[in-house]
This record gives sequence, structure tokens and C-alpha cells, in this order.
Amino acid sequence: MIPAEQYVILSALLFVIGGVGFLVRRNVLVTLMSIEVMLNASNLALVAFNRSRLAPGAAQSYVGQSHTGQVFAFFIIAAEAAEVAVGLAIVLAFYRLRRTVRSDEADLLKN
Amino acid sequence: MRSLLPSPNDYVLIAVILGMPLLGAFVNGIWGNRLGKRAVRLMALGAVGVSFIASVTAFFSLAQLSEQDKGAPVKLVWTAWEWMHTTAGYDGSTVAIEAKFSIDQLSGVMMLVVTGVGFLIHLYATSYMDTDKSYARFFAYMNLFIFAMLVLVLADNLPLLFVGWEGVGLCSYLLIGFWYENAANAAAGKKAFIANRIGDFGLLCAMFLLVEYTGALDWHGLANGALGLIHPGEPSRVHVWPLGGGHYEGFLRFLQPHRPFTVSAATAVSMALLLGCCGKSAQIPLYVWLPDAMAGPTPVSALIHAATMVTAGIYLICRLSFVFVLSPFTMMMIAIVGAGTALFAATIALVQNDIKKVLAYSTISQLGFMFLGVGVGAFTAGFFHVFTHAFFKACLFLCAGSVIHAMHARIHDDDKAQDVRNMGGLRKWLPLTHLSFAAATAAIIGFPLTSGFFSKDEILYRAFIDRTVNPEDGLGFLHRMRTYAPPQWIGPVLYSVAVVAAALTAFYMCRLYFLMFWGEFKGWTIGRPSLLARRELAAAQAGVAHSPEAGAGDAHDDASGHAHHDDPTTPGYAPHESPWQMTVPLIILAAFSLFAGVLDPGFGILKERPLDHWLEPVFKASTDHAVIFDYGHDAAWAEHMEWPLALGGFLAFAIGTGLAWWVYIAKRGAPAKRLAEAQPGLYRLLLDKWRIDELYDGTVIAAVESLAETAAAVDKSLIDGVLARFTSLVVAASGTVLRAFQNGVVHVYAAMMVVGLAFTGWFFAVPHAGATVAEAGNDDYLVTAAPGVGYAYRWDADGEGKPEKHDFGGDTTLKLHVRPGQSQNVNLEVRNSFGLVRTKTIHLARPQEPTSSL
Repeated sequence: MIPAEQYVILSALLFVIGGVGFLVRRNVLVTLMSIEVMLNASNLALVAFNRSRLAPGAAQSYVGQSHTGQVFAFFIIAAEAAEVAVGLAIVLAFYRLRRTVRSDEADLLKN
Repeated sequence: MRSLLPSPNDYVLIAVILGMPLLGAFVNGIWGNRLGKRAVRLMALGAVGVSFIASVTAFFSLAQLSEQDKGAPVKLVWTAWEWMHTTAGYDGSTVAIEAKFSIDQLSGVMMLVVTGVGFLIHLYATSYMDTDKSYARFFAYMNLFIFAMLVLVLADNLPLLFVGWEGVGLCSYLLIGFWYENAANAAAGKKAFIANRIGDFGLLCAMFLLVEYTGALDWHGLANGALGLIHPGEPSRVHVWPLGGGHYEGFLRFLQPHRPFTVSAATAVSMALLLGCCGKSAQIPLYVWLPDAMAGPTPVSALIHAATMVTAGIYLICRLSFVFVLSPFTMMMIAIVGAGTALFAATIALVQNDIKKVLAYSTISQLGFMFLGVGVGAFTAGFFHVFTHAFFKACLFLCAGSVIHAMHARIHDDDKAQDVRNMGGLRKWLPLTHLSFAAATAAIIGFPLTSGFFSKDEILYRAFIDRTVNPEDGLGFLHRMRTYAPPQWIGPVLYSVAVVAAALTAFYMCRLYFLMFWGEFKGWTIGRPSLLARRELAAAQAGVAHSPEAGAGDAHDDASGHAHHDDPTTPGYAPHESPWQMTVPLIILAAFSLFAGVLDPGFGILKERPLDHWLEPVFKASTDHAVIFDYGHDAAWAEHMEWPLALGGFLAFAIGTGLAWWVYIAKRGAPAKRLAEAQPGLYRLLLDKWRIDELYDGTVIAAVESLAETAAAVDKSLIDGVLARFTSLVVAASGTVLRAFQNGVVHVYAAMMVVGLAFTGWFFAVPHAGATVAEAGNDDYLVTAAPGVGYAYRWDADGEGKPEKHDFGGDTTLKLHVRPGQSQNVNLEVRNSFGLVRTKTIHLARPQEPTSSL
């Protein structure tokens, strides 16, 4: 069995990749994708921790165990879907207004 | 009969007496303009009328009650609700202040005067104000005034009296400035209001002192606790300088007197009360508002500024007589202020030409007589003058209103219509007004056997023989106190001043009477009615109408169909008598002016003087110990002096009246003119009212104005110029800095969010050691560590650096014994889930107890 540490390292790696992408890229679509990566990194960590805390020997039987982390991950996926729907709608509206999807053009609220 | 009336301790009829005028004010104030004139009239008259009938009923049940307990103070009481609490005195006992009203012998008489005279003046005003466009507003204010005055009179404690006191002040202000379109009227209203505020300051101070020294504010409690005001020893002394008993030190040391100046609490309280009474009752130095208050409609002058409100000061002195007699100094001051005002105002009244101004100064002068009466301890005499003055002065003012009403037929300028130089010979056309005015004048000048004769003579007599001393004979413990005793010569001096003032009164009132009603009419040329009618008809037929404003202008004239001509030489109709609504109150008041004297005649005419007997329970306790006949004589001597002293009053009447007759009837005013020409400076000075207004303008008002200007300059330069500008600069600068971050670029916002998240993460990753220390009693301290998620604690109670237990645990508190004068350090170690540890040292020290109990 792969130990939980490796999952967590992978999750942290993914989160940093997503965060850097979010900060660095100017394309709004890519920014959205970076957010997805970050959210999924946290999903991975949640599931991994949940699994690592299951009672030894009972890995095959889920009865009587806590599954908070896994359920949490599903909720995050649902929230993600809603967020992407809204986000893409904003991007579309922004594109119609400015004919671009570059986020540094979105400065209507400046000052 | 008895079963129909409520019990004396819960006499709810008082609610009707008070409630009806309030209801009238409410209805006329809110819906008056929509109700129409008839309904407004009905409401206003009905409200005061019902209140009067209820007052009479209450008065009779009071009389019945006092028949049962002869000589004892009786009261009809109604408690509306409990208003508030306060604490009092050194023991901090609770004083309940209730909205409680009571009728006793004193307030019963006052209540009858307020509602009775008030009703007559309301009736008069329904006709007098008939053409005014603010009819409903006028009656709303008038009813509100009656309500406020009844609250003042019937209140059972000082704060509630103060409510009425302020209420009548408010109504006075509203009614003086009733015709507020004229700026002078509005200014007069403000002047009255502000002058009264100065007096109210005194009344408020008196209330604070009373609750401190007597521990009560209701009449009963004050009477019981009054001796606390003259208790010997330091605590009952009030420090006047330095104020409140402090010490001036440092650069203010020169203000520190050699010995602090203190007065007894009784003197402090009564002088503060005197200030309040001087404001309300228009005495020196605060009288200046009353002459200006004549800017209001004449019924207002009659009701508020002659008959009722201005006597509130005397009422208060009578009400708190047991406080005043404790301070002979204040009593003497009241008498001096009264006598001085009586003389001073009378001199001004000698030369005024505005009939309402003459009456206003006459009112001030008569109020001075009342002050003189109560000031020498003759409370009944002073109050009797309040009573008679209410009738004759209200009658005089209403007659003046009737005359002004008549003069308005041709003269539309208010000042000219009130100028006595435009009148004369009015007795031919205004017979009822003339007779009423003559009756009231007879009363005020002291024509023998009229009401004013009896009340004024009693005051003069008492001023000579009575004086107030400290009541130490009755109360043994006071002998240690050094108390003030008025000098012996004060009585004769007061008497002489009052006699001179009475002579001046007779002169100026007769002058006014002769100039108004005798001699030739000087207002305009009177044409023959038949000729006038024919000429008007001819003018109408020729198509030459009245001047255009005749239709819409003063409606006094439209009613009688008089022509408008500004030229007084053109013949016109004679002045006409007023309608019955105005003359009936005049006749009733005139009758009272003549005959009210039977209620308290001196000279042994009646075996028992009814008013004296009636008021005896109220004043007995005050006067028994404190007011004495002095000069080494006994009561028989005082009785013996009554006739000789009355001669002075009679001579004052005879000389004043005779002189006025000689000057204005026999010589047709020639001597007065000659005197004015011979002494132009003195004449101008009197005509300008001794230029006291100018003096106040130059001193007090100028000082206040310069203070205001200084404050405005500081406000503009320091507050606006420096502080406000500096604040705005700081805000603008920080705005400029913060604006740089708001650049609208999403990435910068995101980066900042990341930075913020990093800080938050760091905050939660590091443990925070904190603790609070509390006293646990028995020299113990309880140290409680601040809580946090996943925290574990380790204590080092002796502070030597090694924790007691090796393992971190869940103990969040530590109890520690520290004796006085000792101190100790406690180390607290906190570890969080990440295994990070922080340490905090807590210093505990208990201060040394004081070694001596000095």
C-alpha cells in the first residue's frame, strides 16, 4: 500500500502548481483551470488522510468507519462544478465586452 | 354628597381639572383648523369651563374636610404615577418622585383663580381674537397654558412644579410671539424665555440643594426635613467661595480667601429659590422681559402676564414658606427686592404713553408689593394681594383690550392704537368699559373699601411691624449658631418706600384713566352718523368704492362698515363698545375688584378674617416661631398701630389721585408738560425706562456676545483650521497610499490573498501563550491560561525555570498563594498540535497593606 505521505506530497505539489499558475498566467481560462487543480489537490489530500485513518485490518469493510474526508471531497466536486459554471459565464460575458480573455484587461473596478 | 365624591387620598377629580385643558389644547392644536371657529370656541371654553366647575367642586369638598379638622392642614391628593427615583443626603436614602397632585388651602384658592379668571379671559378672547387667522392656534396655546399653570399650582413636589413652571414659560413664549411675522414680537418672546431661564437655573440649584439637605422634594417631606437646612455644624454649611469647598493652589492661589465664605444651607436654598421667583415674577434684576411681553395679544397679557403666571413666584415663596423663614437674610432680601421693584417700576409707569406698557410696569410694581408682603413674613397678606391683583389687573388689561379694539376702528398701527395721546373722552362711547376700568382703577390705587385697599394696606402695615428672625427661640439647639438678624430700621424704611410707591401708583393709574376716558377725543374727528351715512351712500352711487384693501383688510371694520381713511382729520364714526363676550367678563372682574376685599378686611371690620382663617393651617408652622413683632413692643401695640399706619396708605391714595386730578383734569395736562420741559433729561430717562435695557445690552449681553465671538473665532481657526484640516489630511494621505493597491488587476488581488492566507496559517501554526490573573480571595491568585485548539499546558509555579510536571497536560488554571508584600513569577508553557512550544512569564505581586488606619 502506498503510504499517506506520498499522497500528501503529491497533493502539495499539485497545489503549488495550481497556485503558481493562478498567480502567473493571464488567460482567464487557464486561471480557472489552475483553481481546479488546487481544489483537486485538496480533494486528494482529504481522501488520502481519510483512508490513512481507517482502522487497521478493516480496510475492506467500510461499515462503522468515518468517511468524512471522502464525503467532503464529493461536496467539493459539486461546489467546483457550480463555480466553473459561474466562472465560465463571467468569462463569456467579459469576452463579449472586451473581445479578450486576458485578466489584466479586466480593470473596470480600478481605483 | 359625600359618597359621590372620591376619597381625599385618591381624589381623581383632579384628573378632570387637569385633563380638560390638556384635551382642549390637544384637540384645538391638532384639528383646530379643520374644525371651524364654532367648534374651536366650544372646545376651548368647554375645557376651561368644565375645569372650573370641577375646581369649585373640589374646593367645596376641601372646605368640608377642613371644617372637620379645624386648624389642621388638609389635602386632596391624587397620584397619577410614580415618575422617578433619586438618592439623597449622606445616607443615600431613596427619594421617590411621583407625578402626584394635591389641593390644599393655598393651591385651592390659586386653582380657583386660574380656572375662574382663565375662563372669563377665554370668553373675552373668543370675541377679541375673532378675526385672527390663527384662531385655533391661539386657543390651543391658551388651554395649554391653563393646563401648565394648574400643574404648577397643584403639583405636590418640586420637580413636578418645575414641569408646570417650564410649561407656563413655554406658553408665555409662544403667546408673546403669537404674531411672529413681526420680528419685534418674536424677539420679545425670546427675551422672556431667556430671562426666565436665568431664574430657572436658580430653581434647579435649589432643588439639588434641597434633596441633599432635607432628603425630600415633596411638600410634606420638605416640611419635615427643613430643619436639616439649619443644622449646626460644618456639613450644613454651603461653601460659596471657593465654590463647593475646594482649595485654590498653584498660580490660582491668590483666589484662595483667608477663610472660606460659607452660608447656611437655608440661605443658599432660599436665595436660589429667590432667583427663580425673581425671574418668573419679573422682579429686579430680571424684570426686563415683562414690559416687552406686551407684544402678545391683550388677553394673553391679562391672563399670563398679570393674573396668573407672574404670580407663580409669590406662590412658590408661600408654598415653601417654611424654608424661607429659616433664613432671615433671604426674607429681608425678598422684602428689599419687592419694595425696590415696586418703587422703581412705578417711576417708569409715570411717563409711559402706551397703555399696555403702563399696565405692564404697574404689574411689576404690584408684584413688588406682593414680594414685600411675603418678604416680611406676612404670607397671607402677600397672597391676598395676588388674589385681588388677579381680578383688578386682569380687568384693567381687558379694558385696555376693549379700548384698543375700539381704536382699531380707524387706527391700524398697533403702537398708535395703544397710545394714550390718541385717546380721551372715551367714556361717552365705551360706557361699560369705562365703568369697569374705573372700578379696577379704584381697586389698584387703594380707594377705601375696595379689594386693593385692603390687600395693599395689610402689606404696608405688616411691612412696618413684622420682621423675620431666626427661629431659635422655638428650637433650643440653634443658640450656638451666629445668625443674621435684620436691622431694626428696615421696617420703617420698607414702609416709607412702599407708601411712596403707592402714591406713584395712584398718580399714574389716575393719569391713565383721565387721559383715556376724560377730556377731548384726539384720535380722529368724529362725524355725525347721519351725515356720514349719507356721504357713504353718495360715494357708493358714484362708483367710488372704499380703498381696495378695505374689503380684505382689518375685519374689525368690515363688521361695522367703517370707512378706511388714513387722514384722522376726515370725520369718521365714533369708537364703539365691544360685544357682550368682552363686556361681561369686564363687569364680573370689576365687581370682584370692588368687593373681593370682604374676604380679608383688616381694621377689625369682621370678627374673623375668612382668608386668614382659611390659610392659617398652611402658614402657621412657618410664622409661629420666625415672624415677630419687634421693637420691644407686644401684640397690643401692633394692633394699636394699625390705624396710624393705614393713614399712610390713605394719604398715598389721596395725594396721588388728587395730584393726577389737578394735573390732568383741572389744568388739562399743562403742569406735566411744563415739568417735562423743565427737566428734559429726567423725563427722557424715565421714558427710556431708566435705560436698563441699554445697560444690560452694554454689560451682560455684550459680555455674552464677546464670549460667543471668541468661541466662534476659536472654532474657525483652531477647530476648523487646524484640527479639521489635519484630520482630513491624514485621511487623504492614507487614501492615496491605499489606492495604489486597488489597481483593478486580478492577479495583484490574488497575490495579496495568498499573502494574507500565509499570515493566517502562520498565526494558527504557532501557539500563543496568554493568561489572566484574578483575585480568588484569602490572598490567593487564580491564573487562567488562554484557551486554544489543541493546546496543552505545563506550569512552573515557583518560577525557577523547571516545570513541576514533565508532561504537558490539560490544566488551564493555577491557584497560588501570595502574601501581602510578596511577589512571585510563574512560567506557563503552551504546546500546540504541531509540537511548537511558547513560554510566558507572569509576575504576581500583592501590595503591602497600609500600616496605619489614619
